[in-house]
Amino acid sequence: MNPGRSKCWPEPRAAYVHVPFCAHHCGYCNFTVVAGRIDLADALLSAIERELRDLEHSRPVDTLYIGGGTPTQLSTGQLDRLLTTVRHWYELSAGGELTVEANPADVDDAHVEVLARHGVTRVSLGAQSFQRRKLGVLERDHTAETIYEAIRRVRGIGAAVSLDLIFAVPNESLWEWEDDLQQAISAGPEHVSTYALTYERGMAFWGRLVRGDLAEIDEETQAGMYETAIDRLGAAGLSQYEISNFARSGCHSRHNETYWMGDAYFAVGPGAARYVDGVRSVNHRSTTTYIRRVLQGQSPVAESECLAADERARELLVLGLRRRAGVSLDDFFARTGMRVDALCGESIAELVRHGFVDRSEATIRLTRRGLLVADSVWSQLLRG
Amino acid sequence: MARIDCKHIRNFSIIAHIDHGKSTLADRLLQATGTISERELREQFLDDMQLERDRGITIKARAVTIRHEHKGEMYELNLIDTPGHVDFHYEVSRSLACCEGALLLVDAFQGVEAQTVANAYAAMEHELDVVPALNKIDLHHARPEQVLEEMESSLAVDPSEVLRCSAKSGIGVDDVLAAIVERISPPEGDPDAPLQAMVFDAVYDDYRGVISYVRLMNGTVHKGDRIRFLRVGREYEVVELGQFTPQRQAREQLVAGQVGYLICNIKALDDVHIGDTATAAHGEQAEPLPGYEEPKPMVYCGLYPADGENFEELREALTKLHLNDSSFEFAPETSDALGFGFRCGFLGLLHMEIIQQRLEREEDLDLVQTAPNVTYEIQTKTGETIQVFNPQQVPDAGKIEEIRQPIVRANFILPADYIGPVMQLCTEKRATYVRTEYLSPIRAILTYDLALAEVIYDLYDRLKSVTRGYGTMEYELRGYFPADLVRLDVLVGGKKVDALSVICEREDADRRGRAIVKKLRGEIDRHMFEIPIQAAIGSRVIARETISAMRKNVTAKCYGGDITRKRKLLAKQREGKKRMKSVGSVDIPQKAFLAVLETGGER
Repeated sequence: MNPGRSKCWPEPRAAYVHVPFCAHHCGYCNFTVVAGRIDLADALLSAIERELRDLEHSRPVDTLYIGGGTPTQLSTGQLDRLLTTVRHWYELSAGGELTVEANPADVDDAHVEVLARHGVTRVSLGAQSFQRRKLGVLERDHTAETIYEAIRRVRGIGAAVSLDLIFAVPNESLWEWEDDLQQAISAGPEHVSTYALTYERGMAFWGRLVRGDLAEIDEETQAGMYETAIDRLGAAGLSQYEISNFARSGCHSRHNETYWMGDAYFAVGPGAARYVDGVRSVNHRSTTTYIRRVLQGQSPVAESECLAADERARELLVLGLRRRAGVSLDDFFARTGMRVDALCGESIAELVRHGFVDRSEATIRLTRRGLLVADSVWSQLLRG
Repeated sequence: MARIDCKHIRNFSIIAHIDHGKSTLADRLLQATGTISERELREQFLDDMQLERDRGITIKARAVTIRHEHKGEMYELNLIDTPGHVDFHYEVSRSLACCEGALLLVDAFQGVEAQTVANAYAAMEHELDVVPALNKIDLHHARPEQVLEEMESSLAVDPSEVLRCSAKSGIGVDDVLAAIVERISPPEGDPDAPLQAMVFDAVYDDYRGVISYVRLMNGTVHKGDRIRFLRVGREYEVVELGQFTPQRQAREQLVAGQVGYLICNIKALDDVHIGDTATAAHGEQAEPLPGYEEPKPMVYCGLYPADGENFEELREALTKLHLNDSSFEFAPETSDALGFGFRCGFLGLLHMEIIQQRLEREEDLDLVQTAPNVTYEIQTKTGETIQVFNPQQVPDAGKIEEIRQPIVRANFILPADYIGPVMQLCTEKRATYVRTEYLSPIRAILTYDLALAEVIYDLYDRLKSVTRGYGTMEYELRGYFPADLVRLDVLVGGKKVDALSVICEREDADRRGRAIVKKLRGEIDRHMFEIPIQAAIGSRVIARETISAMRKNVTAKCYGGDITRKRKLLAKQREGKKRMKSVGSVDIPQKAFLAVLETGGER
């Protein structure tokens, strides 16, 4: 792309839809969720329909992602209505990817039938763990059996399975985590996402941590758990392609790649973030406020920002480094009009010297050591 | 307005140890004479600098004119405020030079303390009429008889002449006012002689320029007069003059004996010198007054802008503060670690802390301060004698014939129960015992000679701690004496950080070195790589600690909505890091540069 034409942004080829409902607000979660208010579902669907109408005409996309919250909290009728509307406004291209997030306990035959009818290609299951103790700590309502059952049903409609797994749960040991990894591998998913439990303001666990009611797993153990995940999943054919994401060959989440490539994407729903025409904006996080605003004809956007060229370039670099493939230097120049070295050559040289970044003729990528401290690398690169 | 006669003027100060009730008594005098009403009475009226209020101490001299009727005649009482802390002894002398008398205030429970003695001696040296008074006599645990005994033995005060009052409740305040009129001499001076006015303070006002505080020794000055400041040799027109009542109150004239202010459209900060003499610009001129002996700074530290771009702002702020306080000095210096800044000299630690806080608060500057050091005299092998204000200036050991350090004579005044612990403390500080004197059966003065470096290191805090807050101290310089000193350097990540070097006694170097590296390990955050912290004398490493590398720091989830959030979070962290100083690739927080000082308590 010619940098002189930077005002001309490519049309997004990805869309995200946020369904905030959950049966229970788990203590480790600070996503935009609303627990026990499924009564708002019809109003929310009307609001999403209304927000989509602003697109004016149907947009072709290559990936569509219905996330949450828990989209499967919706009744089959509501889920059908949502998918019908969304697919009308976001027209999935041939061979496109349509992902729906699901809570294992919600994946019954009736819901699966709706997903099949709408051509869902991937189901991302919020498994989190196969251990009774961990699931209890995480306040989840399912068991290992539930997960296996959900996987069987998803397989039945020919969709790919992705499992979410959490590690570094309070009191978790390395062998407990190894057992989770083993069970996940045995279940045979196409894709796995793993996250270390992170304590942040806005989640119930934060307060418990501050009060000393919970203890964070020590850094050394966490690092060991993360490295074990990379090694075990990789050995099982689920190779790491992003900091937290693992997939069999050809089964990457194409939708999520959009984020890490710094490409544009649409979004609707409460708390949903979009990147359109070079502007990042996010909808109001409160479900009720979102519904009210949209139905009153007001904009649901709570915040938006337009990055300066060099901020955008740095962001592209650090997001790109999250991918194991790294950043192609030529591609970076083509997209930003800037040379990586001109932007932060010194920092990169130092990161290479310390063994956090690997540099070849054509690409730069994080080393294993770099992966473990990716946030520090990020702040190093933002610095110059 | 008729011109006031000297016999109706009294110029006085109140001198006391900190917290003995000086400010409260000043307030009470203003209120009892109707100078300010109850309603106007802000607590501690004279301490009008915010910092002074916060710390409950007086830093700068202030003057208030009180009108008071005594036996049917109207008097003008000028109260010139004085600081109570040892660092500001110089300012006390300045105030006293403008007075004929001093009210010596002693807490009826605390008794005679270090500043009581030091300030009383200063008043006697100025040949002032001293009016002693016991304050807080209504406290139920007051011990007036013992305190009188202490005053008699330490200050040769006649107990029968000591007033008793309570500034807080107002008891005896009328007696104090009467004694000011009856026991303090009126000023002597000829209103018809050529103008001779002592500038004893000056403040800078953004709207009016320099406001000079003056005491007229002789002559008369009118609004519109042309005057000359003898030391700087510049001539000005008096655009306004007046007195503090306590607000600025313009007058037509000031005459011999009076205290007030002059505003002369002086815009340049350096054009007024404290201690200068103002006289008439034309006609017969007065002789310059002796002025003040400029105090020599005893303690030095580096002050650097946290953000290197604020160097010029810091220079301006220092220049401005210097006008009001010529007792500190500053000169530009450069540090590899901290960039461009200033080496600043202060009268003492409190003075240093106050200047730093005023810079941060009044000038809104964010500063990095290095650990303070004293001045050293170094005799080189080539026979030269050099003064060293900064550890970096110490030449290589091979070139040094002798290093001399300042030794002070310190007087510790304390309840006799604490003599043991204080003696032990002094032994630890390698102090030389001089003598013990008893003020009363339960209070004593211990006198020691010791290195000023030990005093500024942590002596004051340690004294307070071993005497549970009851011990006080004051000191004066005895001179420079040879010592076995070395420069201790600190290396962070293998690089020497010049701003962290200290000079210490060779036999204490191992302990200091270990304490410094340990402290620094706690101050510096973990980085992506391991950071060795070493203390070294020359090339010999004497202590080492290691900050281990960060093992894991990665945000797992990074999808659509997380990107902006994460970037903002990192930007915020980066903002915090901007306030740190980078040496190599290590970010060192501002307060770590003081770590070399704070190690004192850990042993």
